[in-house]
Amino acid sequence: MIDEKIHFRAPVSKTYRKKSPFDQLLEHMGKVRECINLLGDGLIRYYKGDYKGFSELTEKVSSIEHDADIIKGNLRNHIPSSLFMPVDKGKFLWVLREQDAILDHAENLVQMLDMRHTKIPKQLQKIFIAHAQLVMKTVTAMEEAVESIRDLVETSFIQRERDQTKEFIHKVHDFEWQADQKKYDMTKEIYKLEKKLNPMDVYHLLKIADWVDDIADHAENVADWLRSMIAK
Amino acid sequence: MLDYTLLLIIGGTCAIGFYMAWSIGANDVANAMATAVGARAITFKQAALIAGVLIFFGAVLVGPHVAETIKGKVIDNTVISDPFILMLGFISSLLAAAIWSTLATWKEMPISTTHSIIGALVGFGIVAGGLSSINWGCVASVAASWVLSPVVGCILAFIVFRIIVRLIFAQEKPVRATRIVGPLIIGVTAFVLSTSLLFKTQLGDMLGIAELSSTLISSIVISIVVIFLAIFLLRNIEARSVDDYTTVEFIFRKLQIITSCYVAFSIGSNDVANAIGPVAAIVPLASTSSLGPVAEIPIYLLVIGGFGMALGCLTLGYRVMKTMGSRITKLTNTRGFSVDFGGATTVLLASKLGLPISTSHTAVGAIIGVGLARGLDAVDLKVIKKIIISWLLTLPVAAFTSAIIFIGLIALIK
Repeated sequence: MIDEKIHFRAPVSKTYRKKSPFDQLLEHMGKVRECINLLGDGLIRYYKGDYKGFSELTEKVSSIEHDADIIKGNLRNHIPSSLFMPVDKGKFLWVLREQDAILDHAENLVQMLDMRHTKIPKQLQKIFIAHAQLVMKTVTAMEEAVESIRDLVETSFIQRERDQTKEFIHKVHDFEWQADQKKYDMTKEIYKLEKKLNPMDVYHLLKIADWVDDIADHAENVADWLRSMIAK
Repeated sequence: MLDYTLLLIIGGTCAIGFYMAWSIGANDVANAMATAVGARAITFKQAALIAGVLIFFGAVLVGPHVAETIKGKVIDNTVISDPFILMLGFISSLLAAAIWSTLATWKEMPISTTHSIIGALVGFGIVAGGLSSINWGCVASVAASWVLSPVVGCILAFIVFRIIVRLIFAQEKPVRATRIVGPLIIGVTAFVLSTSLLFKTQLGDMLGIAELSSTLISSIVISIVVIFLAIFLLRNIEARSVDDYTTVEFIFRKLQIITSCYVAFSIGSNDVANAIGPVAAIVPLASTSSLGPVAEIPIYLLVIGGFGMALGCLTLGYRVMKTMGSRITKLTNTRGFSVDFGGATTVLLASKLGLPISTSHTAVGAIIGVGLARGLDAVDLKVIKKIIISWLLTLPVAAFTSAIIFIGLIALIK
C-alpha cells in the first residue's frame, strides 16, 4: 500500500478511521439488495416453470455472495477492541451476521433449485408466488431499516430518526408474519396433493417452502438485532 | 570582545529557539488542523496557509502570558544563582526539547512540546543544583494541567456536540434551526476569540482596551456584529426535505472555516512560549547577568517564535496535512466543528490562565468527547495508549538529554 510507505506524522488523524463500519454494513446490505432483486424475479419465473437462464442466475448469486463475504470479513476483522463505536459492537456484528445469513440461504436455495428443476403444480403456483413476494417484501423492509442507520448516526440517535427506524422494523415484523401465515397455508396445500405427486416432488416442494421462508426469518433477525442495537 | 560573545550567544539561542518553534509548527499544528482537513472544511493548502498566517498573529498578539510560567517557575533561581550556569542550562534545555520533539514527530508519537521543555528544564536543574533547585510544586501543578488538557477538551467538545444535536438535529426543522443556532454559536466563538485577543495583550494595550470591563464590552459588540452578519449570510438557505441533514452540514462547513482559524490562532498563542520562553530568559542573563522573576518578553522574540512555527507548518506540516487529507474520510462538519471549538477554547483558556498545555492532547481529548457523545462512527482509542506512553517517556527522556547536553557544554567551556 502506498499509504504505508509515506511516513505519516499526525497521530491524531489515526483516531479517525478511513472507512466507517456503518458504511461497510450498508455496502454489505447493497449486496443483499442486489441478490434479492435477482432472486425475486428468478424465483417467480422458476415457479411458473421457466428454467431458462436459471443456472446463470445461480452463478450470479454465488458471486454476489462471495463479494459480500469479502466485505463481511473486512469489516469483522477490523473492529479492534480499541475501537469505540456509538453502538454496541457485539450487536452490530450480529446485525452483520444475520444479514450475511440471508445471502447464504439465498445461495443454498438457488443451488438446490438449480440441481433439480422441480415442477410446481398449477394449483400451487399462485400461493407459491404470493409467498415469495411476501418474503421479498420482508427483505426490502429490512433494507430500508438498515438504510435508516445512516440518518441515525448522522443525528446521533435522536428520537425522530429512532422512531422512523422502529417503523421500518415493525414493517419487517408485519411482512414476516404474513409470510409465515402464507407458508402455513402453502404447506397445507402441498400435503393435500401428496397422493397425486411423487414423493420426491413433495419433499422438494416442502424444502422450497422452508428455505424461501428462512430468508424472511433472517431478515427479521436483522431487524431484531437492529432494534436492540439502537435501544436506549 | 564582550559584545561579540554576547551577540553570538543571543544569536545562537535565537537560532535554537527558532528550531524549536519550527518543530512545534511541524508537529502540533498538523495534529490540530487534522479535523478541519478531514472534514473537508478546508483543503490542506488552505489549512497550511491559515495555520501559517494565524499562528504567527496568535503568537505575536496573544503569546506572552505562558512564557513566564515556563522560564521563571520551574527552576528556583535562588538555588542556582550563577547566571552563566543558568544560561547554559536554558540553552541545553531548549536544545534537548527541540531534539526530542523532532524525534517524536518522526516516530509518530503524539508528544507535547510543552512537556519536553519542562522535562528538559527539570533535567538541567537536577544536575546543576540538585533536587532542591526544582520548584516541584510548580512542576506538579503543570503536570496536573497536562492531564486536564485532554479532559477539558473532551468535556467541552462533548457539550458543544450535544448542544448541536439538541438544538438542531432534534428540532422539527433542522435547517431552520441551524439558521438561528449557527450564528449564535459563531457569536460565542467570536466572543471568546476577541476576549482572548484583547484581554491583557499587546493588541489590547495598543487599542487601549486591555482592561476587563472594556474588553468585555468590545467583545460583546464584536460578537453581536458577527451574529447579525451570519444571520444575514444564512437567510436564504432552505431545507430540501424534513430530514435534510446535508444542508445542516453544509452550513457547518462554512462555520468550520472560522473555527479552523480559531484553532490555528490558539496554537500560536499557546505554543510560542515553549520555543521562546527559555530564549527570553537567556537574553537578559547574557546581557545584564540577572534574571528577574517576570522579565519582559521582547516582541522580536515573539516574532521569531511565530515565524518559526509558521515556517514549520508550511514546510513539514504542509506535507503531513497533504497526506492527512487523503487519509481521513469519515468526519462530518458538525463533528469537526465541535472538535475544533472544544480544543481551541481549552487551549485559549489555558493560555490565558498561564497553564502550559498540549495542543495535540487537547485535540485528541476533543475527538474522544465527540465520540462519547455518540457523534462519530468509530474512534480508535489506541491513540490514548500512545499518549500515556508519551506522558511517561517525554519527561525522563527530555530531562536526560538536557542533562547530558548541559554536562557536555560545561566540560567544553571549562
